[in-house]
Amino acid sequence: MAVTETVPRSEALPITIRRVTKTYGQVFALDHVDLDVKSGEFLTLLGPSGSGKTTLLMALAGFTRPDHGSVSFGDTEVVRMPPHKRDVGMVFQNYALFPHMTVAANVAFPLKLRKVAKAEARERAERALETVQLGGYGERQIDQLSGGQRQRVALARAIVFEPRILLMDEPLSALDKKLREHMQIELRHLHEQLGMTTVYVTHDQREALTMSDRIAVINHGRLMQLDEPRRLYDRPANRFVADFIGEGTFLPVELSNGSAAYAGTPLKLAEAVNETAAQELLLRPERLSVLAGAAEPEVNVFAGKVKELVFQGESFLMYAALADGAEVAVRGATNRDVMERIPAVGADVHLGLHRDDTVLVAAGED
Amino acid sequence: MAVADFAPGAVAEPQDEPHATGLRDDAFRERMAMLGLCSPALLLVLVVLVSPVAWLFWLSFLANDGSLSLEHYERMIASKSYARIFWTTFQVSTLTTMLCILIGYPLAYFLSQLPPRAAAICLITVLLPFWTSLLVRTYAWLVLLQRKGLLNNWAIELGLWDEPVKLVHNMTGTLIGMTHIMLPFLVLPVYGAMKSIDRDYLKAASNLGASPVSAFWQVFFPLSLPGLFAGALIVFVLCLGFFVTPVVLGGGKVIMVSMRITDNIELFFNWGAASALGVVLLALTMGTLYAASRLLRLDRILGEGNG
Amino acid sequence: MKRRTFTVATAAVAVLGLSATTALSQELNIVSWGGSYQDAQSKAIFQPVAEKMGITVKEDSYGGISDVRLQVQAGAVTIDIFDTGSGGGARGGAEGILEPLDYTMIDVSNFVPGTYQDHCVGTITFSTVFAYNTETYSDPANAPKTWADFWDVEKFPGTRSMRSKFWGSLEPALMADGVPMDQVYKVLDSEEGIERAINKIRELKPHIAVWWKSGAQHAQMMKDGEVDMTTGWNGRFDVAIKDGAKAAYSYDGATLDYDCFGIPKGAPNKDLAMKFLAEASKASYQANMPQYITYGPTNRDAYDLGVIDPETATRLPSHPDNAANQLVIDNAWYAKWEQHASQLYQDMLTE
Ligand SMILES: Nc1ncnc2c1ncn2[C@@H]1O[C@H](COP(=O)(O)OP(=O)(O)OP(=O)(O)O)[C@@H](O)[C@H]1O
Ligand SMILES: [Mg+2]
Repeated sequence: MAVTETVPRSEALPITIRRVTKTYGQVFALDHVDLDVKSGEFLTLLGPSGSGKTTLLMALAGFTRPDHGSVSFGDTEVVRMPPHKRDVGMVFQNYALFPHMTVAANVAFPLKLRKVAKAEARERAERALETVQLGGYGERQIDQLSGGQRQRVALARAIVFEPRILLMDEPLSALDKKLREHMQIELRHLHEQLGMTTVYVTHDQREALTMSDRIAVINHGRLMQLDEPRRLYDRPANRFVADFIGEGTFLPVELSNGSAAYAGTPLKLAEAVNETAAQELLLRPERLSVLAGAAEPEVNVFAGKVKELVFQGESFLMYAALADGAEVAVRGATNRDVMERIPAVGADVHLGLHRDDTVLVAAGED
Repeated sequence: MAVADFAPGAVAEPQDEPHATGLRDDAFRERMAMLGLCSPALLLVLVVLVSPVAWLFWLSFLANDGSLSLEHYERMIASKSYARIFWTTFQVSTLTTMLCILIGYPLAYFLSQLPPRAAAICLITVLLPFWTSLLVRTYAWLVLLQRKGLLNNWAIELGLWDEPVKLVHNMTGTLIGMTHIMLPFLVLPVYGAMKSIDRDYLKAASNLGASPVSAFWQVFFPLSLPGLFAGALIVFVLCLGFFVTPVVLGGGKVIMVSMRITDNIELFFNWGAASALGVVLLALTMGTLYAASRLLRLDRILGEGNG
Repeated sequence: MKRRTFTVATAAVAVLGLSATTALSQELNIVSWGGSYQDAQSKAIFQPVAEKMGITVKEDSYGGISDVRLQVQAGAVTIDIFDTGSGGGARGGAEGILEPLDYTMIDVSNFVPGTYQDHCVGTITFSTVFAYNTETYSDPANAPKTWADFWDVEKFPGTRSMRSKFWGSLEPALMADGVPMDQVYKVLDSEEGIERAINKIRELKPHIAVWWKSGAQHAQMMKDGEVDMTTGWNGRFDVAIKDGAKAAYSYDGATLDYDCFGIPKGAPNKDLAMKFLAEASKASYQANMPQYITYGPTNRDAYDLGVIDPETATRLPSHPDNAANQLVIDNAWYAKWEQHASQLYQDMLTE
């Protein structure tokens, strides 16, 4: 998608969140959250429902007053600043477009409040609409727009006043799958173009992986891990993150002076063992391979029996029972040589896992 | 649209528009079925609403001896008091509506901001007057406001004023009483409209840089307007036909059409004189409402223009 | 409630037709104004007369002469006798919806003059007087007495109240303007005369705090001290005074009016009703009314029976001493001028 270079890049601001806590009765919606959002980055808050994502975003926008903690935009402490003075753009989950105004009036609204001259405001609103590919839609009423168009108007309204921080709370959740995927890429492009610090909320892991520079995984109001998508997937900090992002089977491991072993066999590991906490071995289905002959030296081997085999078109899914009875899932592409290697149900199978993919995670309390 | 257009099989179907007539027949039949379902209600409306008005209209053209005549309308032109009574009626209704808006809107806003439980309790207090009789409420105002009533006595005792102030048996008293009685009719629809305004709109406004005051005026207020129009309309129309309160609190100085209607039945011993007043009131009301709706629509267009 | 039974009865009788009414021929259906007034009538007149005649009287309240008109026009008359104001009687008579009364049967020879008419025979009298607040005008020697005093806001400063309808309002205005009592209706019998009366009221208008609409209202206003002087009906003032109102009134220059009984045209028991009215007009029954309510008899003989205690008697509107100083209402004048006068009065009110 081509994006018109019209709205000038605004100067982005970093966000610093320190020990922000919010309780509702006994529930910790936010539990001493420390988070640094870098200037100009696209950061996603990811977590299951009720984990505190919206609460954190609202604390940034100023709609939720934390019990304590500090929030700074650049050098400015904002935690006690009312929302209308924070100058952050925000796209609401339901868009919150004003139904009594036209598209153009909605987009020009923040400019009007900032006392921008009428003609200029009209021009800038139209440019913002063009940026989201809705040029010429200004005179429409809100109820004459489709869901995707509304989403874009909301976006145009949030960026038209060139805020240095943009907040979005599940802005795509109301859209159908196809449009959602399309908009994900479009939002990503827009961010590249505008360069404002963006905090994005979703509970869709794929969306988070697709769009973000970094992802903050939140659970029970606590920050679980903050990393780039690739690292988050490959090196999850704990069982919760590993489980929440992607699929996986967890196997118990024995730890002894710097090495780990499964079922008596020492494991070749990607990284040194962290012995301060109990650890588990993470097996991602697509990282396991069905071995034909002898394994290469850098590969850990797991022996088992095929329990079930499912053909899924572009991939297959195999469930295998290991010697100790643990069941693991294996996924692979259905190319010819792989398919030929797969034993029948009930037969013995050897599964290989490359050292770089052999990751231990902190055993979860969940 | 003529029924014949939809008659089954009337038109030969072109090859490239399969089932065009059949589908059109279905649509027609559906509409007829709908009409059939509605007809009892329509009939009821016709009998209960339209026929009395038609009868009223007919009676207003009958003279005492039963012959057709315009005498009841001529009398309204000849006697100066009729024009003044219509003027008073509209004046009282307009002022009451305005007072209800001035008091009721902030009240509804306050209620809409309360937590649900507190709002429910407060709403009941607003509605409480509905459970006492109109006459009792009106006389309560008389007791409060009259020359040696509670208010004047207290005020004189406290030294607020030395002589009793005329608070009742005039326009002031009428407006106080009518506003009190009409207030719930305004508060309820406005409250309903306010409750249905999504809080996110206000958050969005605030996020976009609107101070609480401008968020209220630019977002909350326009979104509550439909409720306000509905409430104001109900109050205005109810006021036009009001009888008890202006009789008791107006002291004979605030003469409204409804009062003249009963007087005319007594005086002329015939429904025609009263019917003619009803017909003119109806016509003036419709005219006012039409003008108001035109004006308000214009308003909305203007509101969007500078939005 | 009573209205409902009345309507239901109307419908029922209309269905049953005449055969039903013949079967009930020894029963009379009488309607009046309800409340304490009808209670008094029932005890003093209706039931004693029924007992004397050996018939049954069924009582109901009703909404006035318009109810009678509705029945007569619909040809479904259930009312045998009704009580109405003298004006309503005159009007009903003129409209032809009432039976003419047979004054060879009904003896009105000693009635207060003018308290009976062709279609309606008087039963009680009441006066339109003015009452004043005895605290505002506390010197009895210097109390307002005449209509001229009522109009004199310099000598008697204070607020006034008059009726919101012209009935009973124009006569006082002319008397205040210097027309002798016996000339009032003569002067009023012209457009100029009516204009003169209206102008006199217009003159007082700035001082009129309330235009009253009902008897209850003017009684209440005297009790609450809302106005310092008001026109009104003597019976209501008596009740208010008994209730503690600081008020007094006199009969000088008052207008004397009366309520009367009539028979609707086509009443089911017309002949029996006529006999009933002949009996009910006797002084012996009328003399019993004042012990229940302070309205005076129309039959002056009632004062000679010794039934009414002398103290009460001197306070009744039709007591010879009081009647002598009053103007008896002229229903012929009302029939002729009421629409014209009413219109001018309304114009004056809404100015
Ligand atoms: N106003 C409130 N009163 C009480 N509890 C609240 C309130 N708002 C949020 N919570 C609680 O705080 C926790 C975090 O809520 P939050 O809305 O931030 O979750 P979320 O991560 O946005 O979830 P979702 O993905 O479902 O939107 C939840 O347990 C929720 O029940
Ligand atoms: Mg949320």
